[in-house]
Amino acid sequence: MDLLFASIVSGVLIGMVLALVALGLTIIFGVMDIVNFAHGEFLMVGMYTGLLTAQATGMDPLFTLPVAAAVGFALGIICYAGFIKFLLRGPMISQLLGTFGLMLVLRNLALLFFGSEDRALHHGLLVGKSFDVGMGIILSATKLATAVLAVLSFGAVWLLMNRTRIGKALTATALNRQGARYMGIPTERMNMLAWGIGGATVTIAGALIVNFWSVTPYVGLIFTMIAFTVVALGGFGSVPGAFFAGLVVGLIMEIPGFWDFIQLFFGIDWMADVPMISLKYTWIYVSYFVIMLISPRGLFGWKQ
Amino acid sequence: MEAIRNTLDFSDFPKTDLGVALAVLVFLFCFPLFPHSAFAMATMIQFFIFSLYGMGWNTIGGYGGQVDLGKAQYVGIGAYTTMVCLLRWDIPFWVSMPVGACLSICWSFIIGYPLFKLKGHYFAIATIATSLVLKDLFEVWKFVGAARGLGILPYKYHPPDYWRLIFKEDIYYYYIIFAFFIVGLLYMNWFRKSRLGYQLRSIKDNEEVARSLGINVHWAKIKTYAIATAFVSIVGSFHAVYIKNIEPEDTMSLDISILIALMAMLGGAGSLWGPVIGAGVLIPLKSYLKEWLGASAGLLGIDLIIYGLIIMIISAFEPRGLWGIVEKYRRRRRK
Amino acid sequence: MALLEVHNLVKAFGGLNANDDVSFVIEKGELLGLIGPNGAGKTTCFNCIAGMFPPTSGRIVFDGEDVTGLPAHEMARRGLARTFQVYTAGGDLTVGENVLVGCFMHTRSRSSARSKADGILEQMGLKEFRNQLVSELPVAAQKRVTMATALGTDPKLLLLDEVAAGLNPSEIEATMAGIRRINAEHGVTVMLIEHVMELVMNISHRVIVLDYGRKIAEGCPKDIVRDPQVIKAYLGERYVREHATEFGGSAIP
Repeated sequence: MDLLFASIVSGVLIGMVLALVALGLTIIFGVMDIVNFAHGEFLMVGMYTGLLTAQATGMDPLFTLPVAAAVGFALGIICYAGFIKFLLRGPMISQLLGTFGLMLVLRNLALLFFGSEDRALHHGLLVGKSFDVGMGIILSATKLATAVLAVLSFGAVWLLMNRTRIGKALTATALNRQGARYMGIPTERMNMLAWGIGGATVTIAGALIVNFWSVTPYVGLIFTMIAFTVVALGGFGSVPGAFFAGLVVGLIMEIPGFWDFIQLFFGIDWMADVPMISLKYTWIYVSYFVIMLISPRGLFGWKQ
Repeated sequence: MEAIRNTLDFSDFPKTDLGVALAVLVFLFCFPLFPHSAFAMATMIQFFIFSLYGMGWNTIGGYGGQVDLGKAQYVGIGAYTTMVCLLRWDIPFWVSMPVGACLSICWSFIIGYPLFKLKGHYFAIATIATSLVLKDLFEVWKFVGAARGLGILPYKYHPPDYWRLIFKEDIYYYYIIFAFFIVGLLYMNWFRKSRLGYQLRSIKDNEEVARSLGINVHWAKIKTYAIATAFVSIVGSFHAVYIKNIEPEDTMSLDISILIALMAMLGGAGSLWGPVIGAGVLIPLKSYLKEWLGASAGLLGIDLIIYGLIIMIISAFEPRGLWGIVEKYRRRRRK
Repeated sequence: MALLEVHNLVKAFGGLNANDDVSFVIEKGELLGLIGPNGAGKTTCFNCIAGMFPPTSGRIVFDGEDVTGLPAHEMARRGLARTFQVYTAGGDLTVGENVLVGCFMHTRSRSSARSKADGILEQMGLKEFRNQLVSELPVAAQKRVTMATALGTDPKLLLLDEVAAGLNPSEIEATMAGIRRINAEHGVTVMLIEHVMELVMNISHRVIVLDYGRKIAEGCPKDIVRDPQVIKAYLGERYVREHATEFGGSAIP
């Protein structure tokens, strides 16, 4: 039983962080219909930013978020103004491949500057500490804190999108580009803003993740795939969709845990030698496929 | 028969194009007879391989306009079928290759039917998802050697072995893949003039209009997907016996899928020469960049940075690919 | 036997009945016009018949067969072709290629499709444009292309969707002649949605009028033109009331 609860809790916690990772991607898509293959690389940049800032200044990693956000915001805007803007004119295939090129560039720039070794955080207020919440659940303090911060960041962005003038302008542009233009909303600037916010959210997520996940220049790809899956599941362009889909995917990632639980609970030994843990990501892809068949626009999707 | 006439009829291309194509073919044919390095030979073989991958992709991705980023799984099915057939049951290439193609086509129908109910970005990501699932499964499946993969030990066989396609010198492989290349080109020439080819282009243009002309859109896409699959699987089988060592990370990764799509897109998706031009530019570029810049001390990854930049530039400024530039220029001249 | 029978067609979108209990019949060889103010449900009716979406209720019988709810490609295979109003193509296909696709419906052979397409291009006066992209053509020619494409499928019934929109008077004349020819010489039954009265009233054997999703009148053009319900639908009840004296029995052009 403990195993079940532990898996669920773990899934929920990681799910919230995944939701934050996916948030930027879905905002960008909502506003301008482009899917960014380099999204995971932005995350990676956030991770390095968080790590290096913490190491350089001795600050607790959790306080590096504003730095990461600033870096992400700047990176997003630079990418937009210098490249993405031109990509928008072409067909979807060249957009996807163009951002793939960006991914290669970012990944290898990181390789060049940081080398390929794993780097991890070893100090900080919460690193290595955990709470015992009873029922056999041991919460890692960092995971809990990151999940909480992820939810807070998510909430902040949601507030931004729905309660501030600028956010509403962004949402309007996402819903109806032409209409927004008629209303005097500078859509070009909205595009740039979307990339800025998108970049910032994912780098914040990166700075959070680096607390319990070591970083290498190659870490981007798997997160790109997870982010894609979350966004498609939640519906391209949908902010609440990203949240719920994030939770779902987080839980799916815990399937090996559920599997162990089921095996113990029912006392079966089926496929014991198959390392389910290596199929952790496989389940995400399978679920994506299955869920798409049931609801081809994702859970909340309103954009095609 | 009309089909044969269609396959051999290149007359709708301007004479200059045909002249250049012929010259290139002659060059390719004679290449091994000139002095060359082993590296150059290997690069040329890769060129043929990726041209064929690109041609296959071009049917559904270029003419059909469906962005498929999951072709690598079929490379895997083709490669592994041939490998396993050879290692376990000593089945030669010319038997295992069609078997692999059949398996690939079956799989493509199974996932194609639900896959093509999706559109746009949802579809693209679904193709990636299915390919990665297969790759992950192969990585834990002991029967195919899991993550370590499988390898052929050439000394166990007696090269030159035409039946099993095991040779010591690359030149044999060169001419065999060259033959495949010619067949592939001829097939594509037939395809673009066939009923299915036109149906696809209509679908790409506007699906509603296509339906109103009696085209069963869903089925047309599935059929074409199967054709693309067959191309990729057949060449995947060749890849296995040529490289002699396969593992999921090499043959079925996302990078491979993207590379395949890139060939056609860079060269010009939806045109006959596109994938060939794309492969002709990208493969030597990639190989030589890696050779010159990749391993230099302290400059790790620069080759890929340049490679990535080139992809970015072409995607942003000439999404119709290199052939698109030619066509644009010609259209302007015609006015 | 009628070629097309529509029985009690209802099509609802959300709470709104775009088509409300519409029934009519088209005989073989007829030229039927479908008119009505904007939002009357003409396009919805058109699309239901063509198979773009299934009706909410009602029956559609085509050439003796119940085809209610069949998808568009099945309708096309049975001999129903349609044109499209706005040519939203990406511009990748030339005029010749467009028409060719239609011709491929009944054959696998490229040469027979090609010769058929050539014939149609000739007939529709599009031969000179064969190698141009459709998007490069003037509007009148584009409309001819959509008709030519539909004709490639050898239809028994051709649905024309506002083919006169945006044309000048001489182009409208030419279009009328073209439609008459298709109908009279090639025996293709035609149904057209139109706003350009000049075209539809001059060409149709019979006219059906829709308003707010309902059929409000049916008959030959000269009767329709005098029908008080039709006048009210177009000009509005209030206008008719205020100008009652002017409408006593005189024809509206």
